[in-house]
Amino acid sequence: MKKFLALFLFSSSIAGFSGGFQLNLQSVRATGFGGAYSGFAFGPAACLYNPAGLTTIKGHAFMYGINLIMPAVSLQTDANDNIDMTSPMGTPMHFYYGGEILKDKLYVGLAVNNLFGSSSSFAEDWQGRFIVQNINLRTFSFQPTLAYKIHDFFSLGAGFVLTTGNFNYEKAVPLYSDPADYGKAVLSGNGLAYSFNLGVYSKPVDNDKMRLSIGVNYRHSQSLYLGDGVATFTDIPSSLVTTFPATTAFTSTLTLPNVFTAGFAWTLKKDTTHSIMVAYDFQYTLWSVYDTLSFDFANIDTPDSKTDKLWKDSPTFRFGLEYGFRNMLFIRAGGYYDVSPVLDGYLSPELPDMTQFVPTAGVGILIKEKFGLDISWMHQDKERTAALTSAGWSAKYHRIADIFSFSASFNF
Amino acid sequence: MKKTLVLISIVAVAFSCRKSQFDVVERTEGTADFTRYVSVGNSLTQGFQDGGLYSDGQEQSYPALIAQQMALVNTDMDDFLQPTVYGNGSGYIHLEYISNELEVIQATDVGGYAEDGTWAGWGGVGLPYNNLAISGITLDQCVAMDATELTVNNAVLGGIELAFPPISQPGNPFARFLDFGDNPLLGGTPIQYIDHVRNSNATFFTCWLGNNDILGYATSGGVSTSIDLSFIGLGTIEFNTLADPTEFGMKYDSVLTAFNSIGAKGICATIPDVTVVPYFNTFTVQSLKEDYGYNSVYIEEADGDVRIATDADLILLTAADTIELGAGSSMTQYLEHAQVLDAEEVSATQAATVAVNAKIVQSAGQFDFAVVDMYTILNDLKPGVMYDGVEISPAYIQGAGFSLDGIHLTPKGYALVANEYINEINNHYGSNIPKLAIGEYRGIVFP
Repeated sequence: MKKFLALFLFSSSIAGFSGGFQLNLQSVRATGFGGAYSGFAFGPAACLYNPAGLTTIKGHAFMYGINLIMPAVSLQTDANDNIDMTSPMGTPMHFYYGGEILKDKLYVGLAVNNLFGSSSSFAEDWQGRFIVQNINLRTFSFQPTLAYKIHDFFSLGAGFVLTTGNFNYEKAVPLYSDPADYGKAVLSGNGLAYSFNLGVYSKPVDNDKMRLSIGVNYRHSQSLYLGDGVATFTDIPSSLVTTFPATTAFTSTLTLPNVFTAGFAWTLKKDTTHSIMVAYDFQYTLWSVYDTLSFDFANIDTPDSKTDKLWKDSPTFRFGLEYGFRNMLFIRAGGYYDVSPVLDGYLSPELPDMTQFVPTAGVGILIKEKFGLDISWMHQDKERTAALTSAGWSAKYHRIADIFSFSASFNF
Repeated sequence: MKKTLVLISIVAVAFSCRKSQFDVVERTEGTADFTRYVSVGNSLTQGFQDGGLYSDGQEQSYPALIAQQMALVNTDMDDFLQPTVYGNGSGYIHLEYISNELEVIQATDVGGYAEDGTWAGWGGVGLPYNNLAISGITLDQCVAMDATELTVNNAVLGGIELAFPPISQPGNPFARFLDFGDNPLLGGTPIQYIDHVRNSNATFFTCWLGNNDILGYATSGGVSTSIDLSFIGLGTIEFNTLADPTEFGMKYDSVLTAFNSIGAKGICATIPDVTVVPYFNTFTVQSLKEDYGYNSVYIEEADGDVRIATDADLILLTAADTIELGAGSSMTQYLEHAQVLDAEEVSATQAATVAVNAKIVQSAGQFDFAVVDMYTILNDLKPGVMYDGVEISPAYIQGAGFSLDGIHLTPKGYALVANEYINEINNHYGSNIPKLAIGEYRGIVFP
């Protein structure tokens, strides 16, 4: 037997990027009480949580915050008792400005933040390397915002969102040659997306005894088009380099979801010394927009890849308490219950998303009603057993993450 | 205030200290005893692949892989001893990339991976091997029903000192690591394969015998070979016939009785549907039309008539060379009967496979041994199955699971088979042998 012309279809699923991971860590104060901020919407962080809330600002306010996400994720499979992910610490930040332009009428704001992102990596020879070796998405969003107070009871706000994203994905290619062993694919690209953020804010009660505020927020989906992606294939057997060349361009689109939130904050004040606030948010993320992930390669011999995601829309329930002492010291506690959008059968190892209750806590101090310092802590600890059917993969996951957040604010 | 802060910090620290790592899983043999694991079978069990038995392939035979995993459960387990071949062993098929084409190079071709210099002297009779599998052996040859079979089996497996053809020493070169005694025809005392089973001291066994009792017929295109040995009083011996299910069942019982008599527990595998392997489905009527421009495919029937083939006729992979020259393209340039397993022969093969599998299940059931249904498992591979992000299918070369001979598995395929054994052993005996990470085992080696 001599010639054997084999047409190679690279049918291995690129399980790919399931990590349109939303980072609900955009205000340290909010994080302290479970992230229930769309109804409270106080200060410059309202830019993100509810742009209409910018109308609570007197003068000009600035805020900068950073989160330290320390994940520890382990997996167990039929073949390995324990596999540790080697993901690095994540440090998403946020910066906000909000200012009064026309007193008690028109307000402007700016948000710069990392709203979506995730970074996962595994050891070189790990069992799931044909699904994912490393994956990384980092987005930067810029949101200029306007808010208008129609009435003391009623404000509107809107922001234009510009997002830049950087995507990187590495996996092993199951083509073996001697002595190179298996091949490797690296896909990386940058993209740009536009979107908008709308908010409505109402304060029906505000007196010496109590305050009640209500907010509704809608953040539109974003399509991050990676138009200039570059795929690099290394250690490919020489007989297959036409199929998997050293480099080829690719395009892809990552869809980030619509987010709808509604909530309230109710504050009771006892003289000027003590106050207590209860906040609640219902958040609904339309993850179903993220139904497929495909990579179209410029090189015609390289088979395009398409992965069905079938994520489902999912709710998050957020609530918390804040105790205030003389408007100087604040103690916060709360939590949220997050329903995973990832169905069994679609859980990728790089993002072991879980339905879970997450407790949060925080402390803030405000000096002379001008300088604020806030810290918060959040703890995630959950196990889940699920499969990624399209890749023939199944594992038990244990994900622990501690998130410490710090922010400083200044108003004048 | 202060108290609250202290409390928060304590809670924070307490939670942060929790590790995400999973504990080491406690392993158990359940009701099985893996102290001495012995495997019986044919080429699939010996580690044969790419048309040969060579060092790299043998090291990754599925029994070696199972043993490696069993050792994680039973730390006192005996080392798994295989009759080691060196280097290229018997020689094997490989791929080369010549003038932008992938070419299949046979061991005997120019530039082929010819047999190793040590192959002719391979053997090492007398060692307590754990892997007793012999490439080419049929269940039929394992135990004799009468004196004639005893003589023939001994000649086929062990060889015989005869001054004339067609049989010359040794019989089956892949059987040379076992002592089969002397041929009764010359007054010697033979040792049967089943005697090696009885003397194996196995506490646990895997048995995947019987493939060749079906496969021999199918791979020869349904053409059996007969050897006239009436001149030494043995009559005419037929090879490559389809097994008779009743006789198959009796012989299978004998093998399992032998294991049972020494107190071993174990697992039996059913025989795959031969039509699943690339040897029978790489060249199809459709592919000859599409890739070679045939209008119709012409094949020779058993009686010498030539007819147009349908999708139900399976063209053998070994017809590749003659197809390159146009075989099968016309009434006069047809594919010979031995190059095709025609529709009738396919039906006969499949019926026999189902019948012997029923015998295997029945026989194993008598002794309460486990059964792994390789018939179903390999059939399920047809559309391609994903394992840890890698697809395994019966597609020739691309499918990763089957080696270049189109019948035997690659290390990746053998790892898959080992996992299926492990799965059933665990189910049946309550053990929890860890699975293999299939991705760690190679498929086809590409140039």
